[in-house]
Amino acid sequence: MDDSLERPNILPPPASNEAQDDGQSSEEEDGGPDWTKLPSSSGPNAARPVIPKRGEKDYEPKAGGGSGLQLHFLDRARTAMFGALGANRGVNNKSMSYGLWYPQLARAHVTVAKGIHFTSMGHFVQRASADSQTKLQKRLELLPEEALYLVERGALWCWKQVDVVSESVDATDPDGRGPPMSVQQAYAEMIGTQDLTLEKYQVFAYLKRLGYIVTRAEPPSPSYPVPPPLQSSTPRSVLNTLQSIWSGVCRRLRALIGGSIDWWRPLYLDGWLYHYTNYPSLFKSMRFIHSGHSTPLHLTSKPASAPRSPYHIFYHLYKPSTPFRKTSPPPPDFYVVVVDARNTPMPSLHELAALYDELPDVPPPLPRQRLQPVPDKPAGVPSTTPQSLSTLQQILHSVLPFLSRAPAEPPIKPRKPHPFMALKAGKKMVVMAAVDNGIISFFRFGQGAFDEWPMV
Amino acid sequence: MSLITPQSREPGKKKGNFRRNDNNRIYANPLPLVFSPEEKNVWSSHKVLGLFGLAGSRIQNPHCEGVFDAHTRSVWVTNSDYSTTLWRRGFFGKGTLSRSEPSWLARQINARQNAEKNMVSEQVTAKRRAERKQFKLDRARAIAQAAAAAEAAFAEGRILTVEETGIVIPSAATWKPSRPASPPPPAPEPSTPTTQKDPPEDEDIIPENMEHLQLTLQEAFFLAWTLDCLMIVDPDTHAAMSLQQIWQTFQLVHFPLYFSASQELSNLRFDNPFLINYVVYHHYRSLGWVVRSGIKFCVDYLLYKRGPVFHHAEFAIVVCPVYEDEQDRETCPFDLQNVDPFSWTWLSTVNRVNSQVQKTLVLTYVTIPSRSRCHSVLLASPACLQFFTVREVVLRRFIPARMRD
Repeated sequence: MDDSLERPNILPPPASNEAQDDGQSSEEEDGGPDWTKLPSSSGPNAARPVIPKRGEKDYEPKAGGGSGLQLHFLDRARTAMFGALGANRGVNNKSMSYGLWYPQLARAHVTVAKGIHFTSMGHFVQRASADSQTKLQKRLELLPEEALYLVERGALWCWKQVDVVSESVDATDPDGRGPPMSVQQAYAEMIGTQDLTLEKYQVFAYLKRLGYIVTRAEPPSPSYPVPPPLQSSTPRSVLNTLQSIWSGVCRRLRALIGGSIDWWRPLYLDGWLYHYTNYPSLFKSMRFIHSGHSTPLHLTSKPASAPRSPYHIFYHLYKPSTPFRKTSPPPPDFYVVVVDARNTPMPSLHELAALYDELPDVPPPLPRQRLQPVPDKPAGVPSTTPQSLSTLQQILHSVLPFLSRAPAEPPIKPRKPHPFMALKAGKKMVVMAAVDNGIISFFRFGQGAFDEWPMV
Repeated sequence: MSLITPQSREPGKKKGNFRRNDNNRIYANPLPLVFSPEEKNVWSSHKVLGLFGLAGSRIQNPHCEGVFDAHTRSVWVTNSDYSTTLWRRGFFGKGTLSRSEPSWLARQINARQNAEKNMVSEQVTAKRRAERKQFKLDRARAIAQAAAAAEAAFAEGRILTVEETGIVIPSAATWKPSRPASPPPPAPEPSTPTTQKDPPEDEDIIPENMEHLQLTLQEAFFLAWTLDCLMIVDPDTHAAMSLQQIWQTFQLVHFPLYFSASQELSNLRFDNPFLINYVVYHHYRSLGWVVRSGIKFCVDYLLYKRGPVFHHAEFAIVVCPVYEDEQDRETCPFDLQNVDPFSWTWLSTVNRVNSQVQKTLVLTYVTIPSRSRCHSVLLASPACLQFFTVREVVLRRFIPARMRD
């Protein structure tokens, strides 16, 4: 039974929609699949379904009930869906992996690893081998979400490890292991182990199906490979302290020269010393409200006994294009927090500040490079100059090197980030996945820096 | 009155460039204070001094006037010269009979002259809405025709796509209003029912301006305190209020029992809504943004780059007060909004509304100084503003399917 239930999951994320109401349409960004266009409707031998492009609603529903044409289309789509769901799923025996689930370890030991999944999943652990307690053996293990995902995909046959093998099983099964876990059993066994909630698994599976590489942010065991620690943290803090000292000195100097600010006349519009000459200087002197995430938060600390906030980074996310080595993962592209949208309110400032403390700075996004003008200019300049001049230039260059350097500089223009782009991206970014009964809503929470990008 | 002439408004779509230049000229000053060059006879010395950043220009202060109104918690600028100045130099306030710019009088004059050329922004919007409605009707009719044709073909045993029916369904890009055939009737002004009844003979009579500019307390305090260009008059005594009086009154007026019982100054609190909103308002104003109300977009403020006539608002600000000490909250007499974090459904609602109109949602957290850290004596002067902090969190949806490369 669970075979037919899990069927939609083997499909890549569907990208088409034809007024389907199969429950999947709300989950996916681009709506549910158009089953009529799946070749699997032709029979059980469909190898790779081709996802057609998104369709359009043909007509508005009519007042007097459905029309013959609409009923025809609906019937066709419905039969196609049942056809697709009813197809047998075949798996090549040679591409199956084999695993053994250890409930007390919350790991699945992969005994036979097949397929490309293991380039980004699973990690090697030293375990005492079964025969001798002293000898350590390196073996490939999967976290519960990884094992469950592979079981659900139909890429892994996973057995549950039991200490006592009963005799009756031996008689029917030559391997003495019984049948592998069903998907249903795998869900029941693995959800809830090693901090894996159903929401977290749903986020994991959704991102994996989109091709992302998803790893745990907090290593569940010392042998779990982790990305290098943030390198910029120490020099940045030194810089920060230097900056704060310097700004403090400046403030004190200013206070010495100009006296402390008169809070009833903040701008000294008529003063001889503070004579504003333009709007930027006027606006600048108005900026006395303390702002930015580096200003100290005087929040009263919560009692230590308080339960841990649900807002902590749970997954590291790598784009499919990021070069990834399982044994030494690079710094992640995104940091993902997973919460249950029904029971958890949005993070408080306290929780956000704690999250941002862990995150690295993201450089402001550069404007999209215009490929045409940039190569044109350096290429165009030499072509217009006659060939004879180039020898002259060479001589000039050797005699007076500064002459040739001067014209070369103008084309190299450093691209500046657009203020709006920088403001929208923020300095740090964390992705929050709010899961409501399997429907995932992702938000990016950027650490805003409006004070660094004034408009005037 | 003479300043809001219809001529200075947009002269039509053909002259878009001209209009932009016009706007650049009309709205050249981002603040009511204007820098004017020094007297001409000393221009040489002014140049020399300007090199050292010492002198160069004088500040012209318009010294506007407004009347405080406690019931609406606003300041009314009734003089139309002042209201024009405040609107054009920094987009302060809102016309009480208009969408934003106090253009009621100009609309009246336009309606009397029935001039379609010099439409004010409200009239442009009304015309655009009428056209849009017509487009939707046309499109629905074409779709119904196509559906009927396909249905008829299906009855004969053929299945046609929309394209095969040969009926062109208009899109927003191709549809044109059929102006010459049937000019759309001028949209009735809901706020001015009298214009329809007016007989045409009194065209020459210019009506009295019934409109005033309404400043929020944040705007009024920014103008009066930071820029010193607004004098606020007490409605009872008709005397100018001192800055101390303004400061205290703007806070006291937020107390629930302001009208029934006299409020003690010792009751002033750091979580006063006026203070929290002023901190946010001042913060973004000082960064050069034009800050206007965002109530139409489920938020507190909208940030415009130069002003509403130049660009759409880029950011939508939700003010989220955060108590430094949660215990201060228990004694709070105000109905302070957004102290508790949003639910995820409400966050999605606000974000959907704003991303639909191309605005980025920003949660602006304002910390309220705790009473244990800051004594309430500090509240006697604006010096207490330095104990608030502002920090932003920029929110956008993250769509994994589109972030893969």
